[in-house]
Amino acid sequence: MTTTVATQGGIGTNAQRPDGALKARGEFAYSSDLWHEDMVWGVTLRSPHPYARITSIDITEALRVPGVQAVLTHEDVPGTNIYGLEHPDQPVLAEDVVRYQGEPVALVAADHPETARRAMKRIEVAYEVLPPVVNTEDAAHGRAEPLHPNGNVVRHVKVRHGPQDVRADVVVTGEYEVGMQDQAFLGPESGLAVPADDGSVDLYIATQWLHADQRQIAVALGLPPEKVRLTLSGVGGAFGGREDLSMQVHACMLALRTGKPVKMVYNREESFYGHVHRHPARMYYEHGATRNGKIVYVKARIYLDGGAYASSTGAVVANAATLGVGPYDVPSVTVDCWGVYTNNPPCGAMRGFGAVQAAFAYESQMDRLADAVGLDPVEVRIRNAMSEGAVMPTGQVVDSPAPVVELLTLVRDKPLPAKGNDLTDMPGGVSNTTHGEGVVRGVGYGVSIKNVGFSDSFDDYSTVRVRLSVIGGQAVASVHTAAVEVGQGLVTVLQQITRTELGVDVVTIEPMDTSIGDAGSTSASRQTYVTGGALRAACAAVRAALFERIGHTDLPLDHDKIVEVLGTDVIDEVVEWRHRPTYRLDPETGQGNAHVQYAFAAHRAVVDVDVELGLVKVVELVCAQDVGKAINPEAVLGQIQGGTAQGLGLAVMEEIQLADGKIRNPSFTDYLIPTVLDMPPMVIDVLERPDPHAPYGLRGVGEPPTISSTPAIVAAIRAATGMALTRVPVRPEHITETS
Amino acid sequence: MKSFAYVSARDVPTAVSAIAGSPNAKFLGGGTNLVDLMRGNIEQPDTIVDITRLPLTGVDLLPDGGVRIGALVRNSHLAAHPLIRSRYPVLSQAILLGASAQLRNMATVGGNLLQRTRCLYFYDTAAACNKRAPGSGCDAIGGFNRNHAILGVSDNCLATHPSDMCVALAMLDATVEVESTRGVRRIPMNEFHVLPGDTPHVETSLAADELVTAVELPSVAVAANSRYRKVRDRASYAFALVSVAAALEVTGTTVTQVRLALGGVSAKPWRATKAEEVLLGAPATEESFRQAAAAELAAATARPGNEFKIGLAERTIVAVLRELVTKGDAA
Amino acid sequence: MRVNITVNGEARQVDDVWPGESLLYVLRERLGLPGSKNACEQGECGSCTVYMDGTPVCACLVAAGQAEGREVRTVEGLASGDTLDRVQQAFVDAGAVQCGFCTPGLVVAAHDLLTRTPQPSDPEIREALAGNLCRCTGYEKILDAVRMAARS
Repeated sequence: MTTTVATQGGIGTNAQRPDGALKARGEFAYSSDLWHEDMVWGVTLRSPHPYARITSIDITEALRVPGVQAVLTHEDVPGTNIYGLEHPDQPVLAEDVVRYQGEPVALVAADHPETARRAMKRIEVAYEVLPPVVNTEDAAHGRAEPLHPNGNVVRHVKVRHGPQDVRADVVVTGEYEVGMQDQAFLGPESGLAVPADDGSVDLYIATQWLHADQRQIAVALGLPPEKVRLTLSGVGGAFGGREDLSMQVHACMLALRTGKPVKMVYNREESFYGHVHRHPARMYYEHGATRNGKIVYVKARIYLDGGAYASSTGAVVANAATLGVGPYDVPSVTVDCWGVYTNNPPCGAMRGFGAVQAAFAYESQMDRLADAVGLDPVEVRIRNAMSEGAVMPTGQVVDSPAPVVELLTLVRDKPLPAKGNDLTDMPGGVSNTTHGEGVVRGVGYGVSIKNVGFSDSFDDYSTVRVRLSVIGGQAVASVHTAAVEVGQGLVTVLQQITRTELGVDVVTIEPMDTSIGDAGSTSASRQTYVTGGALRAACAAVRAALFERIGHTDLPLDHDKIVEVLGTDVIDEVVEWRHRPTYRLDPETGQGNAHVQYAFAAHRAVVDVDVELGLVKVVELVCAQDVGKAINPEAVLGQIQGGTAQGLGLAVMEEIQLADGKIRNPSFTDYLIPTVLDMPPMVIDVLERPDPHAPYGLRGVGEPPTISSTPAIVAAIRAATGMALTRVPVRPEHITETS
Repeated sequence: MKSFAYVSARDVPTAVSAIAGSPNAKFLGGGTNLVDLMRGNIEQPDTIVDITRLPLTGVDLLPDGGVRIGALVRNSHLAAHPLIRSRYPVLSQAILLGASAQLRNMATVGGNLLQRTRCLYFYDTAAACNKRAPGSGCDAIGGFNRNHAILGVSDNCLATHPSDMCVALAMLDATVEVESTRGVRRIPMNEFHVLPGDTPHVETSLAADELVTAVELPSVAVAANSRYRKVRDRASYAFALVSVAAALEVTGTTVTQVRLALGGVSAKPWRATKAEEVLLGAPATEESFRQAAAAELAAATARPGNEFKIGLAERTIVAVLRELVTKGDAA
Repeated sequence: MRVNITVNGEARQVDDVWPGESLLYVLRERLGLPGSKNACEQGECGSCTVYMDGTPVCACLVAAGQAEGREVRTVEGLASGDTLDRVQQAFVDAGAVQCGFCTPGLVVAAHDLLTRTPQPSDPEIREALAGNLCRCTGYEKILDAVRMAARS
């Protein structure tokens, strides 16, 4: 039954963001812009050591600084001093031990941020410094001091698929490394906590998941969840880095203690310490294949460094393991993936979530295989590409389109760009490093698979309320959800779906907060699917109520009819909606229908490399991605362009440099992300092969392009240079070193 | 950030007397480096003398064909100045390859001369750094030192000077004019910055109470065939791994004039005099260029983290000289 | 200390400024103009770009005292009432805004570019915007926006 009407700005159109003009005017209120009468400022004292015992904390001198309102330590945590996204193992404020450099130890509130910082420096913490555990493989195999009660293995996922210990005519092996990447969202961690007279607190915050924050904060504060009310404020990007708590509990503690509104804003250096990063990885791969390039088996061992606390390491491990052979048919799979505790910075969610690391390894292996059997890199991928009906290494049957061959063909068949003749087209760009001499061109490919939504038996749902009323003679729908807008354009998509479902032009999006049920996280490319699904269901309920009043069910709605039927009534429907269930992976074999949906993207990268100086210019990136249904085609392009840029960053420049557990480059001076001069023009094909199980047939969009751009770019550099390049980011010295 | 007094000076005598009376005072020019360092508690002056209103903003042709540049000329203004673009293209190029447009709009010539190193350990107040805290040690030695110096290093410091502009000034034999209550003196550019030795916290030959008032460029005919190249990790807005400023004149097939300076490799802009000696009078061939580069880098001392810079510097020198030969031919 | 600044055409007197405060802090926290953003506060991202005496600078690295007597124009001073400046409108129309945190700085930088160079080439646009980081868009739609604004 189709009862929708085509209206302006519905699904499939390029509706504009409702917050675009405010943002362009500088009037959009981000969490760091908030202000409150009588507001004071909070700051965080952090551990300078990656691993140390705390022998004493003395706050006497800090309290004497004029203007200081409160100085708090672990003794002041009102509830349970332990939290965690999946697994509570992290103190709100360190007690007897610190496990990473930057771990919060104490808090100060004062009337000026500089006063708070000065008082913070007067807190005396005595540390007994311990040798840090920094080797991932030692941590995985019991060769390091246990940092937590149950040892250092957060999770070990084994995937055993098909006959084991098979042999093949052609064998290629490789060891690969991925450095620690930072989300580098531009809006720093920040929020405003406002205490209420009844001992409750309101927190205005930039986050990815209001209810997960609320649950963790409430436990730490020793309050029932309803006494911790969260409202989303403007979010300056997220990319996974806001899925864990940063200053949430701290600001609430200071507000409840001082009785005043407390604002906390990290600076960029503190931001590098204040959120989780992408897991660095070390990966050992062996591919066996026939002489004509058909994969016979894949064996892999993947080590992911989870750092000091678990965060979402368990789920990242499951992704790397279950997606570890890529979008290929592989009859025999033996994958072991470990996520471990070390004294490195905690790692957790970042766009691509475990799939990024594995893809760098398996795609590098595909190129080695192509070389070994004398095939073109696209051809070897096509020969092994999965399609609808394929069986994943988990035994799960892929029951919706998997157009891997089509994506690869699309990017391969695009015309190649001409050689540049402008200086800015050259490696080194405006830096005058070459005018074309010593420059070699290379072309490379990458293809990705990513699960959409939460997997592994997680109860993944969203809640949406839709209210339909007539205001000033006009039908107005308002949408309320706790699903978080972080910049990706969820607010636009919610308006589009509502317009399409209800035939109403005016759709208001209410503030996102915890006064409505959980919507799950803005992560895993899931919100358009899950909250979009919930919204469609809520709109259907509203429509049903309307039809009941009209007395029939099969006519298109139109605005005037709604106004006439509704009068002064309000239709108000709340729906909790979940996608089909997923199942827990078998702990011994990794078998199970663990994922709800797969998404695919392919990239072709063209690079020019100055082989003399080691400089890389990415000349062009071509991407093809299947999105099932493009709810907002322009926004889809924006996701592909932005995701691709982050993959480019990982390929050639981005890495948090660690030395003995310490971050050596916590600034945008030393942690480089791509500028407009680094990002080339893109050519993009968007496929719409509907997934019959998903709302509108859509697929999650955000993550796949981040995954496949990195291996494509590195493959192109290899093609230009002949270097092995088994580690990202690739730096000039890796290209020019003698092999 | 420590508290400090803020004084705004309207003329040079006021500025130099203000600082003469305050041993821990600092001049504030564009502020693009000092404000950041103060915020990080790396610089902790008790008095700031704001000199941005001093009348040191001229770019003037001198009777001998040289150019005098006021210390408060903004980097963007200098790079765009017709006198600089036509006579010293290498200086324009070097400035434009530093920082971003917004920073070049604020940064001054004097401030660029005096900017501090970008060593990661210098910026980390929890780390040992002989430059920031004399006698505390150097965590860069044995630490993460990929960006660090390979020429003129000591056992006390591996820091590099981060400026691009200064590399061009060193190549051009500029002179720095400074003033204090004791009077005016002139310091040759290649003596302005000093190597770390046992006192890495001493970075220049400027006395604590001296104000940089101007930079003078001599008339350098060969500068018309000059080039600045910068090798870095990102296409823009990143400090040099290695940079080269060079000017070359070839008569027939022989090098008759050459000037060469390196950036990103030392605590000072590194005038490559050994390479210049090898090149002068030598045939303008790839082979000579390689020999010259190797001669200059023979004295390099690297750590495993920055060993690549030796080869990179050599290849960059060769590449820029090769280009200048071609360019000279065309011209 | 007291600082007098003309902000978006209006003379403002700010009292009790601590000398260590930046122009960015004064604008955001003392003058109620949070449009200029605080992404790095080290001059490395361009999100705090404002005009000072007609020249784009990073407000985070301008000491409050340096702004004394200067004319400052922020992103809030570009639109005329309800009508967006053409650069702002183009950012909205081109889909160049995602999280939007970089947008105010980029709008000012692009506004300056088009004032100096009304019909910039792509390399000129890229060079002019190279001091502004964006993490969401991959820059493509930002380039579209600047081209669009140049045409309008």
